Amino acid sequence: MRTPPGPFRPEFWKSPLRGPWLTAVFGSLLLILMVAVALTGFLSHAAYQPDLGRNALVGTDVPFTTFFDWPTGPSWLYAFTQGLHVTGGLVALPLLLAKLWSVIPRLFQFPPVRTPAEGIERIAIALLVSSTGFLFATGIANMQYWYVFRFDFVQAHYYASVVFVVALAVHLVVKVPVALRAYRSRGVLAPLRQSLAETRQEPDGDTLALRPDPPTVSRRGLLAAVGGGSLVVLVANAGQSIGGPTRNLAFLAPRRSGGFPVNKTADGAQVTEAMVGADYRLVLRGGASELELSREELLALPQATHTLTLGCVEGWSTRQTWTGVPLLELARRAGVPDADELLVESLQPAGVLRQATLARGQVADTRSLLALQVGGQDLTLDHGYPARIIVPGLPGVHNTKWVGTLTFRA
Amino acid sequence: MKSRYGASPLHLLVHLAALALAAWALLQVLQLGGWERIVIWLVGAVVLHDAILWPAYATLDRLALRGRPAGWANYVRVPVGISALLLLAFFPVICGKGDATYMRVSGESWDGYAARWLLVSAVLFVVAGTLYLVRSRSGSSS
Repeated sequence: MRTPPGPFRPEFWKSPLRGPWLTAVFGSLLLILMVAVALTGFLSHAAYQPDLGRNALVGTDVPFTTFFDWPTGPSWLYAFTQGLHVTGGLVALPLLLAKLWSVIPRLFQFPPVRTPAEGIERIAIALLVSSTGFLFATGIANMQYWYVFRFDFVQAHYYASVVFVVALAVHLVVKVPVALRAYRSRGVLAPLRQSLAETRQEPDGDTLALRPDPPTVSRRGLLAAVGGGSLVVLVANAGQSIGGPTRNLAFLAPRRSGGFPVNKTADGAQVTEAMVGADYRLVLRGGASELELSREELLALPQATHTLTLGCVEGWSTRQTWTGVPLLELARRAGVPDADELLVESLQPAGVLRQATLARGQVADTRSLLALQVGGQDLTLDHGYPARIIVPGLPGVHNTKWVGTLTFRA
Repeated sequence: MKSRYGASPLHLLVHLAALALAAWALLQVLQLGGWERIVIWLVGAVVLHDAILWPAYATLDRLALRGRPAGWANYVRVPVGISALLLLAFFPVICGKGDATYMRVSGESWDGYAARWLLVSAVLFVVAGTLYLVRSRSGSSS
């Protein structure tokens, strides 16, 4: 069989920088970031507490259930893990591109498969590249509110990450020995000490050029350029998670505007002024009886004030001072002082996230509030007037706004 | 076994285990609404990189380098590369793709993203140009 022209011919490849050591360096750095991004992704799944009530956003038959209750402290916990997930993913993008560049000659290897072992390896690689590309593309679009994909983001992103994790695991089994061999024979850092004039092609490997061009950049120069790309992306986005003055620095973050950002407007949620007017009553369910409380009656109950961080799944956060009735106080009044869980339902007429179920530890935390005010002012309608939930460490959208009914269960 | 398969039986077993788990996840995907689009995106992600992104930047780089001394190439490559990276990572905000959704969700609109991207790109080009000037004057090149 004749070798097709172009990249299928070994002489097509000219860069003297490609080789197992360079791939190992990009791969190692990418691995550290991707492990953090994958872990925080699955932690976010756990933070939604899919085992409770109707919290699950991914099919309930998923065998990977959570083995622990999501903690309530520190209050910035979810803001941190999810900020790391989103910004970590963005920062990994240049490393991913560099890693793919370093091994791209293998894509055009001819013949494509020489042994059954190589064939099955290539299937696993195809799954790895495909799931990685999918996770980056959907993640980037979703965190910028571009729902161009027109499928359920959470479910698709979740199952693609399962494919990614297993494909990555098998890739590590095959390639870690190759990377370690490259580190042992070249030294982990030694190639970084070579100037442009001293840069030569690595002595062996399956991505080497047959007749390499003279180098136009040293390996440390290439690494610095890729790292510079990661750094610029970090600065461009991280401020929306960290907050404070860094928010202004985050020049391309979708949530860079200051103040207290709104996640869903009352208009978007179809909550009207009429629904929250003088006739508004919070329905409190628990024991045998049912209680109805007006906003004035809620304001007359014991109040508490706490400064807590609200973290969004999209990777931005805001820290505010909330005042309201502790959930524990409401649990007592509902006749369930030792509640096992709490179902919160919004006045919002439709949507999966119009309700959320909270765990025992979240109801029991004294900082968990049915907030009536924020920053010393009554809540605005867009922020959940007349009353909203704020629980430390809870994913943003589970801090239900426009609360209509609280059902405590023993 | 090794001679015909090309690796140890362990290699085969590890791959079969991984493929079984991946197949389970993909079968779950096929039960989701809009699964055809999910499959298109899974394949499209590979096509986007291997057939569009990589050939585009590799060809541009080859054209830019052709017949020119290697010394100055990196002063152009690095700022152009970082500017393109920002466009890739923040394409939706820079091009206002999610603007309508963002308005509905937050009550605000996106302003100045394209301008800030161009401004930061300009700063990168100016810094690279200044470095080139300084280094070529002082006679050293890297």
